[in-house]
Amino acid sequence: MAKSQIYGYSDKLSVKAGDDIKFMISAEGTATFKARLVRLIHGDEHPDGPGFLEEPIEAPLDRDWPARKQYVQKGSFLQVADPARVLAPGGAFTLHAYVFPTLPGAGRQVIIGRWSVERNLGYALGINGSGRLEFWVGDGAQADAVAAEPLLMPQVWYFVAASFDSRTGNAVVHQQAVLNRYNSLLSKIVPYDYASHVSERLRVRPGHAGDVRFLIGGASERSEARGEFVSQCYNGKIDRCGVQGGVLDGRELAAISAGGKPGAADILAYWDTTAGYTDRGIGDTVIDVGPHKLHAEGVNCPVRAQTGWNWNGRNDCFRLAPEEYGGIEFHNDAMTDCRWEPSFSYTIPAELKSGVYAVKLTAEDERAEEYVPFVVRAARPRAPICLLLPTASYLAYANAQLSFEADAVQAITAVTPILQDIDVEIYKNGVEFGLSTYDHHADGAGVCYSSCRRPIFNMRPKYRMPAVCCPWQFPADLSIVAWLDHMGYQYEVLTDEDLDRDGIAAIKPYRVVINGSHCEYYSERMMDATEDYLAEGGRLAYLSGNGYYWVVAFREKQPWIMEVRKLEAGSRAWQARAGEHYLASTGERSGLWRHRNRAPQKLVGAGFTSEGMDVSVPYRRMPDSYDPSVAWIFEGVRGEIVGDFGLARGGAAGIEIDRYDLTLGTPPHSVILASSEPFTDNYPLVQEDVMFMHPGMGGTQHPLVRADMVYFTTPNDGAVFSASSIAWASALPCNGFDNGVSRVMKNVIDAFMKVGPLPGKR
Amino acid sequence: MEAFRVSGASPAVGDGAIATNISAAADLTAADTRGAWARPRLRVRYPFTRRTPLLIRVAYDPRSLATRRTIVDKRPLYWVAGLILLAIVPLLGSNALLSSSTVFAMYAAINIVWILVVGTAGIWSLATLAIVGVGAYGSAYLSITYGLPWWGMIAIGPVFGLICGIIIAIPAIRLEGWYYALLTVGLAELCRVYAVQSQALGSSEGGLYGAATFIPNGVSQRTGLVISFFAAFVLMLAALALYRVVNGQRLGRLLRAAPEKQEAFAEALGVNYRAARIRVFLISSAALGLIGGFYATYFTGASPSLFSMDNMMLLLAMITIGGIGTTGGAVVGTLIVVLLDQVFVELGPLRLIIVAAIMLASVLFTRGGLFGVATQFSTWRSRRKSERRAQRSERGGEVMPDEATEIRDKQTIYVRRFDETVRKHLRPLVTDEVIAEHKRNPSGPHSDTLERLLNYFRRAAITDKYGILAVKSFAEYRVIALSGRRGVPPRVVDDKVYATPDEAQHAVFLRRVQDLMQS
Repeated sequence: MAKSQIYGYSDKLSVKAGDDIKFMISAEGTATFKARLVRLIHGDEHPDGPGFLEEPIEAPLDRDWPARKQYVQKGSFLQVADPARVLAPGGAFTLHAYVFPTLPGAGRQVIIGRWSVERNLGYALGINGSGRLEFWVGDGAQADAVAAEPLLMPQVWYFVAASFDSRTGNAVVHQQAVLNRYNSLLSKIVPYDYASHVSERLRVRPGHAGDVRFLIGGASERSEARGEFVSQCYNGKIDRCGVQGGVLDGRELAAISAGGKPGAADILAYWDTTAGYTDRGIGDTVIDVGPHKLHAEGVNCPVRAQTGWNWNGRNDCFRLAPEEYGGIEFHNDAMTDCRWEPSFSYTIPAELKSGVYAVKLTAEDERAEEYVPFVVRAARPRAPICLLLPTASYLAYANAQLSFEADAVQAITAVTPILQDIDVEIYKNGVEFGLSTYDHHADGAGVCYSSCRRPIFNMRPKYRMPAVCCPWQFPADLSIVAWLDHMGYQYEVLTDEDLDRDGIAAIKPYRVVINGSHCEYYSERMMDATEDYLAEGGRLAYLSGNGYYWVVAFREKQPWIMEVRKLEAGSRAWQARAGEHYLASTGERSGLWRHRNRAPQKLVGAGFTSEGMDVSVPYRRMPDSYDPSVAWIFEGVRGEIVGDFGLARGGAAGIEIDRYDLTLGTPPHSVILASSEPFTDNYPLVQEDVMFMHPGMGGTQHPLVRADMVYFTTPNDGAVFSASSIAWASALPCNGFDNGVSRVMKNVIDAFMKVGPLPGKR
Repeated sequence: MEAFRVSGASPAVGDGAIATNISAAADLTAADTRGAWARPRLRVRYPFTRRTPLLIRVAYDPRSLATRRTIVDKRPLYWVAGLILLAIVPLLGSNALLSSSTVFAMYAAINIVWILVVGTAGIWSLATLAIVGVGAYGSAYLSITYGLPWWGMIAIGPVFGLICGIIIAIPAIRLEGWYYALLTVGLAELCRVYAVQSQALGSSEGGLYGAATFIPNGVSQRTGLVISFFAAFVLMLAALALYRVVNGQRLGRLLRAAPEKQEAFAEALGVNYRAARIRVFLISSAALGLIGGFYATYFTGASPSLFSMDNMMLLLAMITIGGIGTTGGAVVGTLIVVLLDQVFVELGPLRLIIVAAIMLASVLFTRGGLFGVATQFSTWRSRRKSERRAQRSERGGEVMPDEATEIRDKQTIYVRRFDETVRKHLRPLVTDEVIAEHKRNPSGPHSDTLERLLNYFRRAAITDKYGILAVKSFAEYRVIALSGRRGVPPRVVDDKVYATPDEAQHAVFLRRVQDLMQS
């Protein structure tokens, strides 16, 4: 019997009273599913803590809903609306493009064409199953093709073209490498003969139907269950491409392949992939500079701003030389929006207090369960405390497959991963809901876009990240929610989305902002807002390890999509290709904030220094912490050890940890309140601190491997308390929330909540 | 947003003109873009098909990266050479050789059509010769009785063949394998008895003779023999063409999708293999009828020996020796048997024993007859090779030179050597104390010795690496092995269940230690 499955997502992660939130649900193996609104309180089932806690809330959505399966369109491609059917030429025509294939041989892939897979109808230039360039046509019954001779080599720029003479049926494919010193994996010293030109008389003439879409990087397909979708998606980059009327001969094509422009008279369409770039980023529209203006629209975020066929290595950004950055990168497993039909929606009532909520979905047989979490923020902030959930970082890790796919993961974490059923289920289904920025596309390229418009199975209560064997991000942050609840604080919840959109206005009303356990990914607007907030007297409890690390951006028109490029430094799951270091979304340089001279130390006094997942350790108070200006933080804490317990591997300091460093911009008056006891050697010093490799980089030997609890004040009675450890939040619930870590937190929050000067101020 | 351009006088986008922002590419290799392109290579096809005469594979040589063009399937060349030889050699020989060659070509035609029935359709019919006989008797009878000319005899043959085929096909719907074979033997015998006893079919003269012949009056005997031979040769070519059309097109593909013992699966996929089988059978029957018509006009009549068991067995020997299922096998098998039977007549009955011996040998020692020997040999050789390699890598040995040439990423060869060295140094570190230490404290901190072992275990490649599955968090854990391939779930390693994460972590450690010690 098929196991029932339910997956869902909402159109927004953060809503306020009066907002409408839509829930998109796909369910299989069950006729109906039950929905229930719950407030999430605690998400870690570890037996040493309070366990999973939720509170049912009455809502009109609480009922049985009819179930149906909704499909996911994977693969990025460009589609061209062509109502006049300009691109269905009855006569002779020529297709041409620059391509940089990355996975030739992995199934049929369409580069450019109008092809209906199940009907054998239309025409396309693509890569056949054997990995060769092929031009094929179909009349609705039969297909015919002509293929080039040698295999296409991966990661080499080619100019490819195909011409078709409808009178004689003669078809010619052309492939010619256009590699230079910089643009390809290989250089000209490799004795491949890449060129191939083959002519063959085809028996079939292409048929045309109005409903077959013209696509760049995919083909149309239709099935009874699913309706129309796109398949045979391409992997690799495509630079300027077009469709010409008439047969272009070798001489004319050679001229285009060398950078010439196609003859204007014959242009049916010519997509200048470098057109329309702005200083502030590139959108999803690829402009047709031909007479018909058949602009192509990207689906699932084809990656723009990539180096093109003529990149010459001198310029490193599309803003400097747009004409060298015409590459658009496609992946057959890219997915940034499920585009499901809403199953139901919910209008947030005025009386619903701010907090972390979820719609809990249960199948009829109760064997499948899904939580679709969202945050209700205050329509008019009233509470003194704001919990800022690091949703940008949730997106970065969304649906991560590290423990299944990365050789190094067990070496990094020093534990054998513990998987749950959901992990196996998702992996078995080929990770159909898209990947995280920790994963690679099928061709090995890193994933630079993540989105919340898709089920994110690891952003769920009770989920434990396999690689580290404990809750990570969202479920771990619920320990802070549970603590705030238990301690009876008045608090409201915000997300990174809100901070990015509203800037400082989002957090200004609050006297304290509490960060989640791992606020690693930050946009410039979020950085600026935090910095301004602190400068204006705001108070921040930084409960993270490894925060403010990566430069990310949310897309202007699709704020649910986030982009990151991982550059030459940092603990990075992948590394962007040379020359592709700037965000297509904003034109900013990505990579580490540290390398844009905004190391986390400048903001919170501490920044990433090491990670390991074997054992966490306690903090030991530092002599400075007895100074009256800060001693109040430890009021009621006995002894000098804090946090020799915790749900995250047995200590409050661990997993990912930060250190104080004046050379990186820790405010000079900062105090190290406490530092961690030594870690094991599975905590090595981070790569960006290593100028030369040498042995002895592990926790037992290197003094920079430590977690520093840091405190400093900012102008206008502002202050920052930095716990500098991911494990901190998971130590809060131990012993019924009655413990040293909880005590320190209470002292800090109590003090930060009060208007006026901070305690100990002289 | 402000449009941003640094270089070039590109016109504003969307004004209909083409942006001129394609700079001339520096450093392009001259051979690739600057010079004139080579003229397209014209790929010629057979008329009315999508096939090219030869399948040529173009590939980069892994050693030199030079482009190599190889003919993937050389059989068309062998066929052309073989057929030319077959067409010329008989002309150089005696009259006896010529007439034997005619018989050979005729039998080869029958066998090729039979291969369609047995190989393509998978119907075990032994009535092949009987259908030929019915075609021969029918056309001879019409010629003798109604003065049907020779071309009319060949034309009417398929009608008899088809009628005969329909009658024989009906039981094929329900009977399978040897039951059907027995039935067809019975039918052939029935025909023979009928022909032997029927007055109308010349029971008294031992056959029906006096039918029209295609050899013109007044030509010399040699010329007549040459005409006969080429007529039979054309018949064989026609049989080959028929085979190609039926087996190579839709019908043949349908039937290849429904091989023996997988019919139900094919049917579930919507392949109507029964109808396809019957159609192939009927087409073959018509063709056999035509050959019967040709037979009658060649021999100017027909004899009951056409229905005899011994002739049928000789035919069976031909296709068995060559290898059932290939036309090449059918032709070569026929050639061998006809050569023995007709050319070495002086050997007497001994030659039948030789035929039987060859048949027995090919059944016992070859898979797919003489024509399968080459594949059989290369399969055997590659199996031996991989056995040898497997033994060697099992013992942690170095990659062998012939194996190394096949490894694309040469680094893997070094890694194999390196890992073996590492394992050699690690094995002595495994002691009861170390295992006890891990059991006591699977997470750490660990002694340097244990840490060294763990570092080796943890850095292993992802494929088949151990993991743990939480069947129920904090209650039930199992050891699994990861696939390393997206879409392929991990496999459960054994049926042991562990109550805590620590126990499961230690179980994985023990497995890894065991793997280390055994490698």
